[in-house]
This record gives sequence, structure tokens and C-alpha cells, in this order.
Amino acid sequence: MSSSDSPRDRSRRDAPGQRQAPEASSSGGRAAGAEGTGEEAAGADGPGEAVWRRDFPVPAAGEEEVTRREFVRYLTLASGGLAVATLGVGAWTSLQEPAPRRPKAIAALDDVPVGGEHLFRYPTEEDPAILLRPAVDEVRAFSQRCTHLACLVVWERADGHLVCPCHHGTFDAADGRVLAGPPERPLSPIDLEVRDGVVWAVGGGGH
Amino acid sequence: MAAPPSRRPLPASPPGRTRRTAGTVTSIIGVFVLVLVSLQLFLLMVALDAAITLDDGLAWASALASVVLGACAAFLYGYLRRFQR
Repeated sequence: MSSSDSPRDRSRRDAPGQRQAPEASSSGGRAAGAEGTGEEAAGADGPGEAVWRRDFPVPAAGEEEVTRREFVRYLTLASGGLAVATLGVGAWTSLQEPAPRRPKAIAALDDVPVGGEHLFRYPTEEDPAILLRPAVDEVRAFSQRCTHLACLVVWERADGHLVCPCHHGTFDAADGRVLAGPPERPLSPIDLEVRDGVVWAVGGGGH
Repeated sequence: MAAPPSRRPLPASPPGRTRRTAGTVTSIIGVFVLVLVSLQLFLLMVALDAAITLDDGLAWASALASVVLGACAAFLYGYLRRFQR
């Protein structure tokens, strides 16, 4: 230990956790109790060089850079997580099998008034659908789920449109094509047959 | 008095490259990765929409694009680590 390296100076340079007790600093000779430790060795290596720099060798000027690098690291981890999540959604979608389309009686034709509608479910009980009868000898049916976010569309007879009340997606009631709003795909049509005065769904529909 | 313990030298800045330059490159790469992550969020929403309608083609296309973007982000982070060494 050099004679100019007083205990007070040493306690200023060292990390807070490694500072000496005040009574040791004030007693002068008692500070020599740190002899043989890393603190003592650090003081012997020259001014400005403390042991705690060994354990935390990042200069203050670089701390901001390290923080940004850590931020990029977390972003990269989030990116990997998003990629895995999207892959999972793709796999889940592939594993879903479309419901089989079996013929199903919907309603007696006479029970659906001209210009009226009839709600039913096809191809499964979880797939709402709508049957329209715009003319005496004309029936049409579509999946009732909007192709935007799956809200249920309603028939506006005056305009001849099927309208989604959630985001005002508008479909043509003649063929289900998109007329306005956020949907990108047309409504899914349902194939119909009239057998002995009964309307049957025989295919299509669903998502 | 005991012998002073051996110590590692403080990391030196790469020659010809200032700390400010390194910080700028870090920021630029960070912005790039942030944009990539934003695009991946959009792709996840597209995949979820495709899942609603059981459109597996669209869902897989979104997943593939998301993986490519994730690989780009990983490459940029790897480049950043090599750059700062």
C-alpha cells in the first residue's frame, strides 16, 4: 500500500458494498485490516482501478448501448415466439376437418313467405345459415357468418342486401358477393333442392 | 502483503469504430427488428382470420412468412453481436 493511498481515498473508489466501516476509516491504522484482500490489491495497481471493475467491466459510457442491445435481444425472442405461434395456428387450421355435407331438410316451402327468410343451421348445428325467398319460385341460402369476423348477417329486404351489423359489411343477396365493407370473401352459398314441397340443403355452406 | 489477483483488461473499443457509431448501428438494427416484429403481429392476425374460416392455405402462407421474418430478426441480432465484439 502506498503512503498516499489513505483509507478515505480508497473508500471513495470502491463499490458501495465494499466500503469499509466508518470506524475503520477513521482509525487510520485499523484500515490496514483490509490488507491481503482484493481492495488492497486494487489500490496498489494505480489510481482509478478498483476491484469492482473486474466484476462489472462495463464503462458508464457504454451502458446505454448495452441496454439497446438487450432490447433487440428481447425483440428477437418475441419475433421467434410470434413465428412459433403463427406456425401453431397454421397447424391447428390444417388439423380441422370440414364438416361433412349431408342432405338436410330445412323447411316446407310454404312455411317461408315470399320476400321472407328462414334461419337454420347447416352443415352442423354450430353453423348458422339463412334461407331467403325473394320470389315465389326462387330460394337461396347462405352461411350467416360474415367472412370478416364471423358476426351474423341479416337480410335487408328493401335493399336486397345481407348486412353485417358489426362492421357494416354488405353482401349481395343474389350471389353473396361483397358489395361494401371490410369483408374480402363472399358469403358461402348453400346448395338447395326442393323435394315434394320441402327445401333441402344438399351442400356448401359452413365457413 | 498478498500478491495482487490477476485481472482481465477492460474491453476495448474496436479499432476505427467509435462508440457512437456502434450505438447508431444498434439503434438502426433495433428499429429494423421492431418493424419485423410488427409485421409478424399482422401475420398472426391474418393466420387467426384464416383459422376462423378454415383456410389452411392462407394460414400456412402467413406462418411461412412469419418464420422468414423471424429468421431475419435472428440474423440481425447475430450480426449485432458480432459487430459489438
